Amino acid sequence: MTIAPLWARIGLHTTANAALAFLLLPILSIVPASFNAASFIELPPRVYSLRWYELFLQDPQWVSSLATSLQVATACMLLSLALGIPLAIAMDKLTGPGRIAVNMLILAPLVVPVIVIACAMYYAGLHTGLVGTFWGMVLGHTVLSLPFVVINVGISLRAIDPSWSRAAEGLGAGPFYSFRRVILPNIAPGVLGGAVFAFIYSFDEVVVALFLAGIGLKTLPVRMWEVIRLEFTPVVAVAATFMIVLAALLFVLARLVEMRRNPGS
Amino acid sequence: MTTAGKEVRLQSVSRSFGETLALQPTDLQIAPGEFLTLLGPSGSGKTTVLNLVAGYLAPSSGRIIVDGADVTDRPPRLRNMGMVFQNYALFPHLSVLENVAFGLRVRRRPKAEVQRSVSHALALVQLEGMGNRMVATLSGGQQQRVALARALVIQPDVLLMDEPLGALDRQLRKQVQLEIRRLHLAHRRSTLYVTHDQEEALVMSDRIAILRSGKIEQIGTADELYRTPANAFVASFLGESNLLRGRIASLSRGCAELEVPGLPARLAGTAASDLAVGRPAVALIRPEDVRVNAEVGLPASIVERVYLGELVALRLHLGEGVELWCRRLSRSEPLASERVQVSWSPDHVRILHP
Repeated sequence: MTIAPLWARIGLHTTANAALAFLLLPILSIVPASFNAASFIELPPRVYSLRWYELFLQDPQWVSSLATSLQVATACMLLSLALGIPLAIAMDKLTGPGRIAVNMLILAPLVVPVIVIACAMYYAGLHTGLVGTFWGMVLGHTVLSLPFVVINVGISLRAIDPSWSRAAEGLGAGPFYSFRRVILPNIAPGVLGGAVFAFIYSFDEVVVALFLAGIGLKTLPVRMWEVIRLEFTPVVAVAATFMIVLAALLFVLARLVEMRRNPGS
Repeated sequence: MTTAGKEVRLQSVSRSFGETLALQPTDLQIAPGEFLTLLGPSGSGKTTVLNLVAGYLAPSSGRIIVDGADVTDRPPRLRNMGMVFQNYALFPHLSVLENVAFGLRVRRRPKAEVQRSVSHALALVQLEGMGNRMVATLSGGQQQRVALARALVIQPDVLLMDEPLGALDRQLRKQVQLEIRRLHLAHRRSTLYVTHDQEEALVMSDRIAILRSGKIEQIGTADELYRTPANAFVASFLGESNLLRGRIASLSRGCAELEVPGLPARLAGTAASDLAVGRPAVALIRPEDVRVNAEVGLPASIVERVYLGELVALRLHLGEGVELWCRRLSRSEPLASERVQVSWSPDHVRILHP
């Protein structure tokens, strides 16, 4: 391998760092804003305080919307796994045009504009009485987060040697035993990755949530949206910080579990 | 370890994939405690037979009987067969110990028994003390042993092996061949072994079945197949062979004479079955049966010498389009000239169906 000339290395580092800053700055600016003592958002804050955290945690509406979001995201994640893992396994065994058709169907929620899906769901939800209900929201989010589970699990499945199942079967294992003891441990990183994506997608989703929300059912992003239209206070930054921290924690957790499993990577 | 070898019988078992017949209706018997090898080129149907016995494939027709019980409709998990896969198919997320224990855990054997059986199996394949290693950290030869231990620990009725040495280098392969053979002789477990390597088949087997295009061409001991092959395919697949093409000139009482274009005299030899006067046939002479520098014989010239260590192979030109390979000990008397007299005993010539 040859070493690039100095000017090229400096250029590369500058560009890469600029790109990283571009991605990170919006996220990193909202966190200091949440520790602001003033009643409006200013950057950087002149006086730091936890007063907006206190306000957030003492306001039953904020707390209940955070709880709603956590519940919806958890249910959506579990439902996406329950549907997505079998779907990915079935996809893995499909070949030919059938595979392409099913693949397109599963990926459709990623391609179709979310506002279109949201309108369709709202319309369908009105007729079935699901608008404004917990399970309506969960179902709506599951449609959108399912592709992440199928894709992640599908990638893990590609590394599965079909002879493992055959070996397990030859040693006396039934299909369920073989799945639990041989397949599942080997696709665990994909399952975990899919679960994290599904959770965060639902936790952070706002378009479908706006359409399907009801008076007693407001997720955190919906509540942020409503508040921000009336007044732009640092309490919104607090909510945003909660979301960032949770997402970051989940990603780090997933990464740690993956590294523990494959110490080489 | 109990040594009850079970008998396996295939009764007119066939298998087709769509239009293609992968295995023609075949009868095959593995005697209790026998080491039977299926030898053939790729696509000859040997792995199909193995998968039929294991239950990974259902036969298109026929029955499979193990120890008197019809297992044709049983799934693999209820057949109690120990399979060693070509790529070993070890579970990468489990330690050596847990890989070997897998079949016992499925059977819900008590912990103490699992412990005892697994350490016994690991000792059998000389992997004591390796139980806690992950399989990915093992060498190919060690992985092969883990696969063997995993198959043996469940006390299978039949041990099935699908080209298990294919991924090993030559030196290791020879060593493992002998180990598998010794293990078999010590425990006499019925074994069905699939390979395309004639040396493996010769070293390990009690009997060898030679397959071609989904059909067993011949089955017998290594010596029977080598000395009295049924046809030219078997002769050429097992060992080195000289095959001379010609027409049957005469046929009587198990002896035949072959007219070979380019040879001044007819070739006499023992006749295989289904030959007829005037029909094409081939004469088989093994290279070690060809003698050079005899007092009497056919004149020939040496056109090539290949040094093989203990042997030297000579390519001899006898006439227009007629060449023979001869193998002699490399330390035998050097040949004075490139012109030699070539002879052989008619007892060592077999006239075969082409």
